[in-house]
Amino acid sequence: MKKNMLRVAAGAAMASMLFSACGSTSAPNAGTSAAQTETQTSSAADASAAKASSEDSSASSASGDKTEITFWHSMGGVNGQALDYLINKFNEENDKNIHVTAEFQGEYDDAINKLKSAQIGNMGADLVQIYDIGTRFMIDSGWVVPMQELIDADGWDVSKLEPNIAAYYTVDNKLYSMPFNSSTPILYYNKDMFDKAGITEIPDSLPAIGKVADKLVKDGGAGEAISLSIYGWFFEQFCCKQGLAYVDNGNGREAAATKVAFDSNGAAVNILKAWKDLYTSGAAPMVGRGGDAGLVDFSSGKSAMTLGSTASLKQVLEDVNGKFEVGTAYFPKVSDSDKGGVSIGGASLWALDNKDDAKKAATWEFVKFLVSPESQAYWNAQTGYFPVTTAAHDEQVFKDNLAKYPQFGTAIDQLHDSTPESAGALLSVFPEARQIVETEIENMLNNDASPEDTASKMAEQINSAISDYNLVNG
Amino acid sequence: MNHSSSRISRIRNVFSATEPYLYLVPSILIFSIFLFWPFFKTIYLSFYKTNKLGQAKLFVGIGNYKELFQSSAFINSLYVTLVFVIIVVSISMLLGLIGAILCNKTFPGIRFFSTAYALPMAIASSSAAMIFRIMLHPSIGIVNKLLHLNINWLADPRYALVLVAILTGWLNSGIDFLYFSAGLASIDETIYERASVDGAGPVRQFVHLTLPGLSPILFYTIVVNIIQAFQSFGQVKILTQGGPGDATNLIVYSIYRDAFFNYRFGSAAAESVILFVIIMCLTLLMF
Repeated sequence: MKKNMLRVAAGAAMASMLFSACGSTSAPNAGTSAAQTETQTSSAADASAAKASSEDSSASSASGDKTEITFWHSMGGVNGQALDYLINKFNEENDKNIHVTAEFQGEYDDAINKLKSAQIGNMGADLVQIYDIGTRFMIDSGWVVPMQELIDADGWDVSKLEPNIAAYYTVDNKLYSMPFNSSTPILYYNKDMFDKAGITEIPDSLPAIGKVADKLVKDGGAGEAISLSIYGWFFEQFCCKQGLAYVDNGNGREAAATKVAFDSNGAAVNILKAWKDLYTSGAAPMVGRGGDAGLVDFSSGKSAMTLGSTASLKQVLEDVNGKFEVGTAYFPKVSDSDKGGVSIGGASLWALDNKDDAKKAATWEFVKFLVSPESQAYWNAQTGYFPVTTAAHDEQVFKDNLAKYPQFGTAIDQLHDSTPESAGALLSVFPEARQIVETEIENMLNNDASPEDTASKMAEQINSAISDYNLVNG
Repeated sequence: MNHSSSRISRIRNVFSATEPYLYLVPSILIFSIFLFWPFFKTIYLSFYKTNKLGQAKLFVGIGNYKELFQSSAFINSLYVTLVFVIIVVSISMLLGLIGAILCNKTFPGIRFFSTAYALPMAIASSSAAMIFRIMLHPSIGIVNKLLHLNINWLADPRYALVLVAILTGWLNSGIDFLYFSAGLASIDETIYERASVDGAGPVRQFVHLTLPGLSPILFYTIVVNIIQAFQSFGQVKILTQGGPGDATNLIVYSIYRDAFFNYRFGSAAAESVILFVIIMCLTLLMF
């Protein structure tokens, strides 16, 4: 009897656990959109409650209908505070009676996934911040008003934008989205270790890093020469540095890509060979995966170099806290003869087509405000992202910031030294491709696989993802 | 009068026959919306390829399943999950059992110890994983500092899976401790007294008295543990993201990645169905 009851209990427990597991994975649309409405309404309520006080003054002075627009973004922490400051400023200062409600939607990946779910119910935002690798997806989605339309309608001068940044988001000669927070990868190095080892020339390529590695460890007192995290973005940048395409159809810019190009043009094998050499010689041990995996080793004074985004500069300087002098240099080439540049990362602003002209106009006003020299100079100083508007360089805030953090100059020079041709690839399944690249690099280093095999494995998996995507979304 | 009273009694009969079902309506309604509907939708989706919005677009029959069983990544994922489950279940049951036996005797400070052993139950897997990640960090982590080693624990395929399993085993041990404590409390104290009078030592007492006494609860704990271990997710997401390579790509994490990262709900749904079948078979086998 007792045993029977236990069985029933076990059975029931199993059933409920199983079903709840299936429930959480099976109907993502229903599930996420329901959850979404909830968070959206609650965060909207919070935001409006918080802003109610500051609004009162501006609302009473202005008359007529207020245009409400919703802005989805992925800026948390310090960056989120800086963005909130700009939004509040816009809400208070704009004379067109526009009110922007900002909603934080989690990381870039979360935000784009929420958008996908929200668009089914047609309850999305007016303006969304989407990461670089979501560009092709957004263009193909048919949900957006190309930024160029708004620009042309207003006669706004596109040449105000940093050309190499605008190039990334320009497809078919149309600027599809407004660049907002852009970064490039750079090489961070520990100046004290380089001085101690007596190295005056900062390595500018992966093989050059390998050459100084021993000296840095032996004489410079480094625990490891470089903490090179396994990050798909770096792989993409190494392609740009070689001036070689990642995917076909003009790097996915002339038309949607149908397959990868890095296997046939040799870009991948070059990268993987250089990477593996650094690993086997001990110069670049495994430090993990993702954008910031290598930063801790650097900040804690263990590694003499690391690769990272310019947007991490502030964080790195804060973490190092004067323990040693931080130097910055150009992102390394794959071989000494490479002539390419770097492309940008970060995110841009997409206007969604909600069939409402008043909102469209209001969205454009807000976008214009965000990329104004003044806003961009503030944004740059607070976050370390590039000012996307060249005129921001004349702002005092920007000059002060550059004087305080001269390391940031490297990033700007590097961007100006690149050409729009190294704008980087567009690919619908980029998030997945990045994962595949990272996994295969890990496999290569751990299992001592050959660079050639690894490259073909990457190509095979990404190609199958591309053809799957084109099959059902074409 | 006679007529109407018989009608009332008939209504009463009908009511008493349907009454129990009426009580079930609310729960059935909730279950249907949140459990059964998604469950059947999962099965439905597993026969389709989905577009970028996750809508069923192209019927492929068992194509998703065929692809899965031909993919070495998925087979690897099954294998990794199996190894993981074995480690987790052994660790959590052992820890729970030892804790429960130690706390079965009354001594000063017993409350502190039983709380300590049951505590993992109250810790969210994600926050525990965050702490583990810092502890295991190769250059600033306390594990390397104490052991004077320089190992990148989570980036090395030899250790990553075992470490995630140890963390999960420890997390799951809290609830096992509770089950075993309840089980031990229900064993009659007097049989131990009689056994010791008969000259049975502690080991014999454990093997011949404690274990048989625990067997019903032991069985239940194994079932629940296996199911729980199969469904571990947060630890993997935070500690390793399935890496290095695919060394910790447990099946639930692989479902998550396929569905919410690659936006291929079809194959994610097929994986969920396979997971469901596996757990169901295992459970039936054990009953």
